[in-house]
Amino acid sequence: MAVDPLIELRNVNKYYGELHVLRDIDLTVGKGEVVVVIGPSGSGKSTLCRTINRLETIESGTITLDGRPLPAEGKALARLRAEVGMVFQSFNLFAHRTVLQNVSLAQVKVRGRGRQEADRRSRELLDRVGLLNQADKYPAQLSGGQQQRVAIARALAMEPKAMLFDEPTSALDPEMINEVLEVMRQLAREGMTMVVVTHEMGFARASANRVVFMADGRIVEDRSPDEFFTDPRSDRAKDFLSKILKH
Amino acid sequence: MNVLTDNFSAYGAGFLGTLELTVYASLLALALGFLMASFRVAPVGSLRIFGTAWVTVLRNTPLTLLFFAVLLGLPRFGLVLPFKVFAVLALGCYTSAFICEALRSGINTVPRGQGEAARSLGMTFGQALSLVVLPQAFRSVIPPVGSTLIALAKNSAIAGAFSVTELLGTYKTLNELGYNIVWTFVWIAVGYLIITLAISALFHALERRWGVAR
Ligand SMILES: Nc1ncnc2c1ncn2[C@@H]1O[C@H](COP(=O)(O)OP(=O)(O)OP(=O)(O)O)[C@@H](O)[C@H]1O
Ligand SMILES: [Mg+2]
Repeated sequence: MAVDPLIELRNVNKYYGELHVLRDIDLTVGKGEVVVVIGPSGSGKSTLCRTINRLETIESGTITLDGRPLPAEGKALARLRAEVGMVFQSFNLFAHRTVLQNVSLAQVKVRGRGRQEADRRSRELLDRVGLLNQADKYPAQLSGGQQQRVAIARALAMEPKAMLFDEPTSALDPEMINEVLEVMRQLAREGMTMVVVTHEMGFARASANRVVFMADGRIVEDRSPDEFFTDPRSDRAKDFLSKILKH
Repeated sequence: MNVLTDNFSAYGAGFLGTLELTVYASLLALALGFLMASFRVAPVGSLRIFGTAWVTVLRNTPLTLLFFAVLLGLPRFGLVLPFKVFAVLALGCYTSAFICEALRSGINTVPRGQGEAARSLGMTFGQALSLVVLPQAFRSVIPPVGSTLIALAKNSAIAGAFSVTELLGTYKTLNELGYNIVWTFVWIAVGYLIITLAISALFHALERRWGVAR
């Protein structure tokens, strides 16, 4: 695909002690592309996601964002992280802040916006994810699905170039999964660049441009969702699909 | 009983001496403890090593030895200050090691994801720590920090041995004047009690104000 690359991983290797979690990873995500990452537990999907904004360091290889290599620790890295939103499986809303403050905090402290402007923007985003009426509650007072939608609004408030999702719906009750997926589908339609680790095959089929299948720290397949789901090439992928499609 | 009324000014001077040592050393200990705790969780290896070394050395040195080292050692390097300042330095540095560890254990009660979410939004390490992690750690560290400062108040008695005016030291004068030693000590104990109970009350109030989990 001849798209403008936004996220590029070249020959990335990562170890946890002896464990080789990412093996020679090459991955390009173009601007506006939605890439779904799937694979068995422990295959390195979360780690891959977290290396992209350097929550995890790598041992070798290069990662570039919009043409610039990831800086090491410090201000430059912080600046770059603000350009890449991240949504976690466990939401990670700031427990001591209200919903509105959660969305506004980094706008004020990182982007340097005035409090009022930040709050105004936060309300817009909360409205967009359908939670404006919850603005003054604390995270613990919301359901999981609501918390996750706030977390998405919080990430969007930084006006990121790309969004990373690490199993955003895995900790949710079934009836809440869809409200979060709907927000994500909407984002995808609007052209946000997204890397999504998920087992939601419906989302992958409907919204992904590509599916990346990982096993044992390697990218085993990287294809369009249609091709991948109807005709997986590798035995690992066939085996994996037969298992998850069973239930 | 008239030990107190006869020698009110001596007791008063001692009490104020202890109070001063406690307040200044507490402020120093809190500031240094805060700094060292940030060092110990920092992403920079050399800071972590410095913080760990600071805590290990100070926590494992007897306080009296530390007083000797500061009061007799620092002047050798040309640093000559009033004994009281040296005493505050020794007490403050010593206690900072315990404050640091109390803060660090509080930091460890805050889920990892909180700091990660903060950093993923572009906050620097310092912002993530001060805006997100420490305010949540604060709750659980109020009681241990209170205990540490109470220990500091009592430890300040060692300064008396280095001719700094403080509460315990007043017994020497009064003893020479022939007063009943038991009553002398009772009133000294009451003085310490006033200070330590005040610290307790302060931290109780803090806990009631901030310690509620949301
Ligand atoms: N901080 C860590 N220290 C040591 N090993 C780790 C750490 N984090 C993950 N691992 C190991 O690295 C491997 C890859 O982990 P990762 O979380 O990336 O897998 P995953 O594909 O996201 O799995 P899951 O579907 O269960 O979330 C696993 O074997 C895991 O046990
Ligand atoms: Mg994972």
